[in-house]
Amino acid sequence: MPSTDDALVLTGIGHEYRGGSGPVPALDGIDLSLAAGEHLVVVGPSGSGKSTLLRLIAGFLRPTRGEIAAGGVPVRGPGPDRGMVFQQPTLFPWLSVRANVEFGLRTAGVPRERRREVAGERLAQVGLADAGRMRTYELSGGMRQRVAIARALAPDPGVLLMDEPFGALDALTRERLQDEVRALWSATGKTIVSITHDVDEAVRLGSRLVVLSARPGRIVLDETSGLPRSPDPRAEPGFAPLRDRLASAVRAAAA
Amino acid sequence: MSAPAEAPPAPAAPTAPRRRREGPSRRRALGLRVLSVGGLLLLWWAVARAQVWPPVVLPPPGAVWAQAVATSTEGYSGHTLGEHLLTSLRRILVGSAWGTLGGVLLGLLIGLVPAVRAMLGPLVTFVRTLPPLAYLSLLVIWFGIGEEPKIWLLVVASLPPVAVATADAVRGVDPDHLNAARSLGARPWQQALWVVLPHSLPEISTGVRIAVGVAYTSVVAAETVNGVPGIGGMIREAQRFNHTDVVILGLIVIGLSGLLIDRLLVTLDRTVAPWRGRT
Ligand SMILES: Nc1ncnc2c1ncn2[C@@H]1O[C@H](COP(=O)(O)OP(=O)(O)OP(=O)(O)O)[C@@H](O)[C@H]1O
Ligand SMILES: [Mg+2]
Repeated sequence: MPSTDDALVLTGIGHEYRGGSGPVPALDGIDLSLAAGEHLVVVGPSGSGKSTLLRLIAGFLRPTRGEIAAGGVPVRGPGPDRGMVFQQPTLFPWLSVRANVEFGLRTAGVPRERRREVAGERLAQVGLADAGRMRTYELSGGMRQRVAIARALAPDPGVLLMDEPFGALDALTRERLQDEVRALWSATGKTIVSITHDVDEAVRLGSRLVVLSARPGRIVLDETSGLPRSPDPRAEPGFAPLRDRLASAVRAAAA
Repeated sequence: MSAPAEAPPAPAAPTAPRRRREGPSRRRALGLRVLSVGGLLLLWWAVARAQVWPPVVLPPPGAVWAQAVATSTEGYSGHTLGEHLLTSLRRILVGSAWGTLGGVLLGLLIGLVPAVRAMLGPLVTFVRTLPPLAYLSLLVIWFGIGEEPKIWLLVVASLPPVAVATADAVRGVDPDHLNAARSLGARPWQQALWVVLPHSLPEISTGVRIAVGVAYTSVVAAETVNGVPGIGGMIREAQRFNHTDVVILGLIVIGLSGLLIDRLLVTLDRTVAPWRGRT
């Protein structure tokens, strides 16, 4: 049941893009409420509106129908209470790594000393304590996404949004970053909404799993994962059945 | 050639492949340049020497050189060559500095505010197509024949290209860079100053180069009215008295100093945005 302490409440969300050849329905009838501290992972076939959903929550787009509330406040646009990690790294190349992480503190007028301190902490949290002086274009893809996560976390948002953050990375780096996100989530207790194509990743990371159907995206599966958060859910007996349920839901949705 | 003089190439052999492609080709380019300049001078000297045209049409290189020495020491129409050049350079600097400042501000507004784009965009394009000599008369009527019309001419000439370059760059900003900034709490002015402006820096710096170039080509026009001291004024004066050697000297001085300044700006252009081309 949605309650006001829920970190995120979506009611009757529908979204249509105005395309060249008429409206493109991307999402339809999305009802979802997420308690604080949950990690919701959204899975679905390509074009099912996953990115659209995240952009609506971030406030980059206004929904055609329905209401979104974050922390009990209706979403009217982007804000520092919802940090975003994009699929394509959107670091500012004209700033150093540290200045990128400090950006959300600078906009809030946080004094310089405090900014440095927080940026240092966040970078250490993602394993990049020594990279502060580097330029963003000197970083590998995995390092960039780490910096993007640190940057999104710096203003201490209530909700962290991640759009296929590891989609472009190799398997090994991807696994390492998954571990880091799990550790981060346990340590900070942040509410997280992330997107992935990878069912295994979804089950490893999510405490709540949602599958969207093909266009227009509707929720076809909404499950709470009972798996313990650590050390690695893959070792749990419940892992394989949950992953299989998710995988068949995605397959059915794509068909 | 003695043996020791030939020895060095041998130890350099391991790094040779790369060196061979860079060093000699660069040296060759330089050599070709020296050769072409030398050839041109020689041709000039030969034609002048043959007296195909009288010296008042084509003075020999020696006469121009003598004028260079004379105007540098004794001066021409009351000022030395150095004074003429410095006065013009100062005008170029001041004019293109204001032109750049105004152009960047106007470009940001045009790029960011649709209403401003609709209102001022066509005007900027219109002014940009006007040759500076065409509006000099108006500026002289408005500002007299002192320093103001000259500076204004350079400002008016250099502002539009910077504004256009900036406006284009602004419109090329990645929407997700802006989205990222907005979800990091950036207010509109912070987005403009901390995202749009640095994003546009490469194009702006190219715009500055264009502005200085335009100011350079316009300074002679600016100095056609009461332009002494000033290189353009000096050329104008020399033309009145058929001092062809001084005219040619003025051209050479403007050309060489322009090349030098362009070199400086290219270097600046490279350092101002090291991320260019590798986001
Ligand atoms: N700006 C836009 N204009 C018009 N249609 C759009 C726009 N953005 C997305 N769409 C359409 O909306 C639908 C959902 O797009 P969305 O990007 O949300 O899908 P997705 O689930 O994130 O896909 P993927 O897994 O490939 O990233 C798609 O059919 C897409 O073509
Ligand atoms: Mg997507």
